[in-house]
Amino acid sequence: MTGRCPRQHGRLENLRIVTNGICKSFAAPVLRDVDLEIPPGCIHGLVGENGAGKTTLARIIVGLESADAGSLLLDGEPYRPTNTADSLGAGIAICAQELSLVDDLSIAENILLHTSTSSLARIRRKSAHETAAALLGLVGLEQTTPRTRVGRLSLAEKQLVEIAKTMATDAKLLVLDEPTSALTAPQADRLHGILRDKAREGVSVIYISHRLGDVLSVCDRVSVLRDGRVRLTEDCGTLSEKALILEMAGADADFDAPGRAAERPAPLHLAVESLRTSKLPHPISFNCRRGEILGVAGLAGSGRTELLSALFGLDKRLAGSVKIHEDGRTVEVRNPRQAIKHGIGLVAEDRSRDGVFRDQTLAFNVTVAGLGRISDRTGRLIRSKEAGAVEKLIGALRVGSNGVHQKMRELSGGNQQKSMLARWLHCGSRLLLLDEPTRGVDVAAKLAIHEELVRLRDSGITVIAVSSELEELQSLCDRILVLSKRRLVAEFHRSDWSQQRILAAAFSEFAREDTSVTVT
Amino acid sequence: MTLERRQFVTQSGSRVFRVLEENLIFVSLLAIVAFFGLISDSFLSLTTLATLFNQLPALTVVSIGMTLVLISGGIDLSVGSVVALSAGVIGAGISLFGLPLPLAACLGILAGALAGLANGGLGAYLRLPIFIVTLGMLEVARGLAYLVTDSQTVYIGAKIQAFAIPWGGSGVSASILVALTLVVAFEFVLRSTVFGRQIVAVGSNESAAEVSGIDPRRVRCTVLVISGLLAGLGGLMNAAYLGSADPNAGIGLELSAIAAAVIGGTSLMGGRGSVIGAFVGVLIVSVLQIGLAQIGITEPTKRVITGAVIILAVILDRWRA
Ligand SMILES: Nc1ncnc2c1ncn2[C@@H]1O[C@H](COP(=O)(O)OP(=O)(O)OP(=O)(O)O)[C@@H](O)[C@H]1O
Ligand SMILES: [Mg+2]
Repeated sequence: MTGRCPRQHGRLENLRIVTNGICKSFAAPVLRDVDLEIPPGCIHGLVGENGAGKTTLARIIVGLESADAGSLLLDGEPYRPTNTADSLGAGIAICAQELSLVDDLSIAENILLHTSTSSLARIRRKSAHETAAALLGLVGLEQTTPRTRVGRLSLAEKQLVEIAKTMATDAKLLVLDEPTSALTAPQADRLHGILRDKAREGVSVIYISHRLGDVLSVCDRVSVLRDGRVRLTEDCGTLSEKALILEMAGADADFDAPGRAAERPAPLHLAVESLRTSKLPHPISFNCRRGEILGVAGLAGSGRTELLSALFGLDKRLAGSVKIHEDGRTVEVRNPRQAIKHGIGLVAEDRSRDGVFRDQTLAFNVTVAGLGRISDRTGRLIRSKEAGAVEKLIGALRVGSNGVHQKMRELSGGNQQKSMLARWLHCGSRLLLLDEPTRGVDVAAKLAIHEELVRLRDSGITVIAVSSELEELQSLCDRILVLSKRRLVAEFHRSDWSQQRILAAAFSEFAREDTSVTVT
Repeated sequence: MTLERRQFVTQSGSRVFRVLEENLIFVSLLAIVAFFGLISDSFLSLTTLATLFNQLPALTVVSIGMTLVLISGGIDLSVGSVVALSAGVIGAGISLFGLPLPLAACLGILAGALAGLANGGLGAYLRLPIFIVTLGMLEVARGLAYLVTDSQTVYIGAKIQAFAIPWGGSGVSASILVALTLVVAFEFVLRSTVFGRQIVAVGSNESAAEVSGIDPRRVRCTVLVISGLLAGLGGLMNAAYLGSADPNAGIGLELSAIAAAVIGGTSLMGGRGSVIGAFVGVLIVSVLQIGLAQIGITEPTKRVITGAVIILAVILDRWRA
């Protein structure tokens, strides 16, 4: 793994990109004297805590943000992009953390937006569709036609389209900002394969991720950003995950999985019976006890997100029932308002679509679902209550910000994610439905969230969590349900689960299809 | 530590400039007033104030409703016609059916609210495009205004004018007071109540609002009803000012209201805006009209200048954001 991009100090023209003393401040300094040197054919990892400045650096490199000081060299030439047209022209493409797709256009049109060199270039439908289809095949979306409207895709599919869009450009430098945050392991592995091929052809890659295992296996070299400075740049072969984490956090933090109280019999909290929606055609039944952390595992498209949506009342129910048992009463949930009223909260998978109010403040975003808690009887807001409540929560969940009145769009991706959880804690939810709750969250904060969830569980709050990371579910959950092809196929307890058994269950319906019907 | 840094940045930036920038519309209003004051001897006079106060109330209340609708991510093109409809109902009620003034006034406002309810029902609950629905209502309400008045200006009389005639020489009338009170009240609703937050939430991300337990349809419908109701009130104010019900009243008023809202910092994309800002926008538009007329600018040129000011306001707003 080493040796492909040897250290080449001195000869700048041999380097693909060099950042020289890049500085950037918003309200506070974000980047200070960032120096990076990336040779051709090198996959360079960039890691750091939420808010460390990774996205900001990526945006500077593609001209979406301008540096306050410092310079960039591309293939030894000074390079000063002022927009993405400049960087694309120079052969640099970005796969953005907050996806840049237009929901109302088709996949092909989205990919084309990126590649057409002139806005007057005639859009040739046929060739566009062929190109798009080839790219979709590359990233593993061969079953989706390029004509599909992007708004209809799942978040993972959108992320794959964003990646395909990046690959469409023949760039010599790819900047990938958390490209796998919504992907399952097989999908991510496929991307890593593509990246290695690209690197062999001499393309350089900047790879930003919080999945440190992936970073160490796919990258040749990695840099750690902390407090806006590059703290370390090393070849991956000599590094361990632990060393990276310590360097990111800057202190000897305790990174053991949270301890758990012994399981005890608890009253029923949620009863789902023969639930069917248009997106979940096969009836699903299960129960959940108060103070239980129930995991939901499955491959991409297995119906995990759809299950949570149905429980929250977002998708219309075709049959069956979702019942909440509370204070000896049993109530049905039919829409999100009822769900929230009965103490259910949903952290949706697609944060930018179903969660974040970009242009509003952090305080607005945290309190929006629980306005009753910061207002009096007449519906008048009590500001002091609001500020106090929000500050307490963002402290507990370590949401990095310049204060509760900072605009949400100015928060880093991981910090936005943490504030989504804060929203439901503020609301006092007693049943949390979490769809990839730690997507894009750094390792330390992720463990902090896990600890918080276990603490909540011990105080009687029930959690149903979907995650693509089996390790996360295994360390967190008391029980795991497995979905496969929109069917509930298995249920495992701590005593009887193993990664292999869970994966086997997740693949079971796919295998059945392969043997019985071989038509695609 | 972060806080210190922030204060440092604030201090090191030019204070004066920041204050100017944050109060740009107030500064612009003052600048416009000062400009006309310098150019024309008669501008800074009580007559100008009286003219201004006469025009102000109807446009102000209509702009309040428009601002709320725009913040919720919608638009209401029907307000001008609804003003005429309400005035027509009031005029016909008093002159043709001999209803007492308070009852007729209530019926007029109710007609406005019903028009708003129709907009809301069709736009929010049946999910028809709100632009088209209110465009249709613009025609429907205008037609109804002609029908109830038999296409003629209906004379009402001095009784209704009491609402609009200034007390003493002060220039302040009941209409103006009501309009100002509503500006303050709705600014409060927008900034400091749960409902205000819900309007902003729906306008800034409908799908996230729904997941947060807000019913976007209810919110959208409610602001359209409020807008219709306020346009109904605008009709009363218009009739009070004229002493009669004019079925041609309020033509193009929706555009002035949108302009006032946008000048006041309201985003046409939803999710951002202020009622006080819209009121200052109303002042800017009205002062400009009166001032230009006073210095002898012709109607066509007036329109060119007013249009240019609106575009300028949007440019400045973009640059600030
Ligand atoms: N437009 C902006 N205005 C003000 N502050 C900003 C802006 N953009 C980013 N920031 C701040 O800069 C810091 C770095 O943000 P950045 O998005 O680069 O972090 P990141 O390393 O990508 O984090 P994550 O892992 O959460 O994505 C954060 O504290 C963020 O709040
Ligand atoms: Mg980021």
